[in-house]
Amino acid sequence: MFVVSARKRRVQKIAKVAGESTLLLFASFVAIVVFFIFFFVARDAVPYFQIRGFSEFFTSSEWYPADEPAQFGALAIIYGSAMVTLGSALIAIPMGITAAICLSDVLPFSVRQYAKPVIEMLAAIPSVAFGFFALVIFAPLLQNFGGPILMWAWWILAAPFLLLAVIITADLLTTSIADPGKRKLANMLIASLLGILALVLLFLVGRHLSAIQILTGTNALNVSIILSFMALPTIVSVSEDALQAVGRELREGSYALGATRAETIVKTILPAATSGILAAVILGIMRALGETMVVWMASGNSSHIPDPWFNYLESVRTLTATIAGDMGEADQVTGSARFHVLFAMGLLLLVISFISNLVSERIVVRQRKILSGQ
Amino acid sequence: MNLGTRKLLDRSFTALGIGSIVIMAMTLLIVLVPIVTNGLGALVFKGTIEHRKMLAAEFNRGDRAELERQTALADSSRKPVYAMMAAFEQELTGMDEPRRQQYQQQYAQVRSAIQTLLGPIPGDPLPALTRSQYGQTRWEKAEERLHEVLYEKKWDYSNPDAPAKEYSVSRAAGFEGTSLVKLFPYVEKNIDRMLMPEWTLYWGFITDSSVDAHIFGGIWPEIQGTLFLAIGAMLFAFPLGVVAAIYFTEYAREGFFTSVLRSANSTLAGVPSIVFGLFGLAFFINTLKVSESKSVLAGSLTLAIMILPTIIRAAEEAILSVPKTYKEASLSLGSTKWNTIVTVILPAALPGIITGGVISLGRAAGETAPIIFTAAVSVGSAIGLADVFSSPTPALSWNIYNLASEHEAASEIRHVQYGMVLSLVTIVLLLNLSAIVLRARISQKLKG
Repeated sequence: MFVVSARKRRVQKIAKVAGESTLLLFASFVAIVVFFIFFFVARDAVPYFQIRGFSEFFTSSEWYPADEPAQFGALAIIYGSAMVTLGSALIAIPMGITAAICLSDVLPFSVRQYAKPVIEMLAAIPSVAFGFFALVIFAPLLQNFGGPILMWAWWILAAPFLLLAVIITADLLTTSIADPGKRKLANMLIASLLGILALVLLFLVGRHLSAIQILTGTNALNVSIILSFMALPTIVSVSEDALQAVGRELREGSYALGATRAETIVKTILPAATSGILAAVILGIMRALGETMVVWMASGNSSHIPDPWFNYLESVRTLTATIAGDMGEADQVTGSARFHVLFAMGLLLLVISFISNLVSERIVVRQRKILSGQ
Repeated sequence: MNLGTRKLLDRSFTALGIGSIVIMAMTLLIVLVPIVTNGLGALVFKGTIEHRKMLAAEFNRGDRAELERQTALADSSRKPVYAMMAAFEQELTGMDEPRRQQYQQQYAQVRSAIQTLLGPIPGDPLPALTRSQYGQTRWEKAEERLHEVLYEKKWDYSNPDAPAKEYSVSRAAGFEGTSLVKLFPYVEKNIDRMLMPEWTLYWGFITDSSVDAHIFGGIWPEIQGTLFLAIGAMLFAFPLGVVAAIYFTEYAREGFFTSVLRSANSTLAGVPSIVFGLFGLAFFINTLKVSESKSVLAGSLTLAIMILPTIIRAAEEAILSVPKTYKEASLSLGSTKWNTIVTVILPAALPGIITGGVISLGRAAGETAPIIFTAAVSVGSAIGLADVFSSPTPALSWNIYNLASEHEAASEIRHVQYGMVLSLVTIVLLLNLSAIVLRARISQKLKG
């Protein structure tokens, strides 16, 4: 330690404190911003509830903000958001998790090197480009060839799974037969019987699907498919991190017990990584829920609850698209319920995203603690 | 379970995973291929003489003498068309009332179809809209218009259950027995000579500003606006993000306060982009009043807040990946902590920090929702650097939406929309690719 005068030491100390507090100020900037976002969005959302109260917004699905008298029932819009988010989650979660498993445990390193940039590029494509694709290319396709597209999708997706299911069921049903010759015979009999049943099922559902006429290509199905591909990169990369965090010991232990790779993954690695994958799923869903451009351009923007409620072939309207679309007209009338209701929707989105973020963060922290054995 | 079945399950599991990745790659291709091929169509296309006329008149470009020669040639082959039309107009006046009414309506359609195909008919007053002052500038559009001259579009409502079907009826048949019937085969046969299509490389699509709401011209104002917004956002977010990352990695003590700050960071990363737009409107424009109304400044600030978490995370990772030995060596030589950070850690982490910055730049360029209420306008010319504090700008992302969904002639200018999407995707993907390459080189360097 150098010998310095008391005065100089004091100056040094002050400089250090001043420097560190400046750094701290910069670092707390993010927290300040988050607080400001909540404060300013809420500040403009509260007047809506003061003017119109709570019940209409959440219980009515009559959305006529420009009419006299105006109606602000957002139930159908909230439902539309939930619907496209659920639809995209149904597609993105299974695909994303299997792709993540594939990346972390199955593919050799050389292939992985090429697969990762593909996912990164998918994540980098601007949302408006996806929206343009959905509106200009995908929607006309769905509208003109909707039935055949659905049929082919059904055949391609369902055929391998049904085949697999047939083989496994036949195998499971015949394991109790002791004599190998008899077992083989029974196995083949049951498999061919189930196979015929599966074919009939494939054919019937396919024919039913191909007869469907899609009236408009800008519908919930279109948006769900496109959104799922936008949520996929998030799900894949976060779940891959979670899978990587599961140590080698667990994997090697499972292999040593004679498990196949699939069994190791399903019975050992996945349970250990569940919470991380859950966090990935939450983040992916939030990406779909918060997406604006795709739904604005390609969801049809009609504020009604589809009939029947699960009809993905009808147009819907979402919270994000409503904010984006209505602000242009409501902007001139700052202070009106029509302006503030959009902030109320923004606040709703903000609160949902905040809660899910906290939850996913807690989950990740817990997983890290469990895996490190604390 | 049989060993065979177990193996089968194992294999099919692998196939499932590989299938998902293949589907993702296919999606990337399915999205990118039409965008690239159609987008290039905005730059390279068969341009007609009307395109060259438009360039000469609106942008003062091209070889005047050659253009005049071609115009004369084209006009000479157009003359018979106009002569035939004049003759028919004469014939119309001589007809009896019911026949005249029947033909007049049909003839009006033909006349306007010829006008959209070839430009204003000689003798008519010059139309006010620039788009009607020229004929079809692109050959593939001209072919569509030619079809409209030759055939009348009709709808078949005979089957009430199915949607109405479209079918075409030859117009020539409608004019059977009049002098106009010769017009249709003549136009069909001589369309090449009347419009003189040539392969054209139109660089101006990138450097020109638009004429008559993107019917003609290029997209430079949008490209410039996008660059201004993205770079502006970086100017705010990059220094802030790097300093915050230094604090988190080098100074922060683990505790409640730090964990709150970290939570705030991930919360900010998860906020839906449209909410940033609302916040920008409520805070920067309505509260701080950084500008009268929308401006590049307000948009950049909003985008900066949006990309801040990404930059902080990338910078943190880059700083953490600097080997500890560097820091220890520097400290052991007697340099202070701050000195070590500035002279040793930051230079070593710089490539990684820049990678994060480049990716964020791409994100800021591609984002639409935050700038809808804060910076973007649908029509406008390129703004000067001095105007960024006060005036809004057109931007690629917003104008893609606007042209595709709200433009009055959206289906007529698909090539412009594709061109814009291609430009935006190229900017963003080039930034991302350079980040990927940069990162690969860093990881090689760190391996030694």
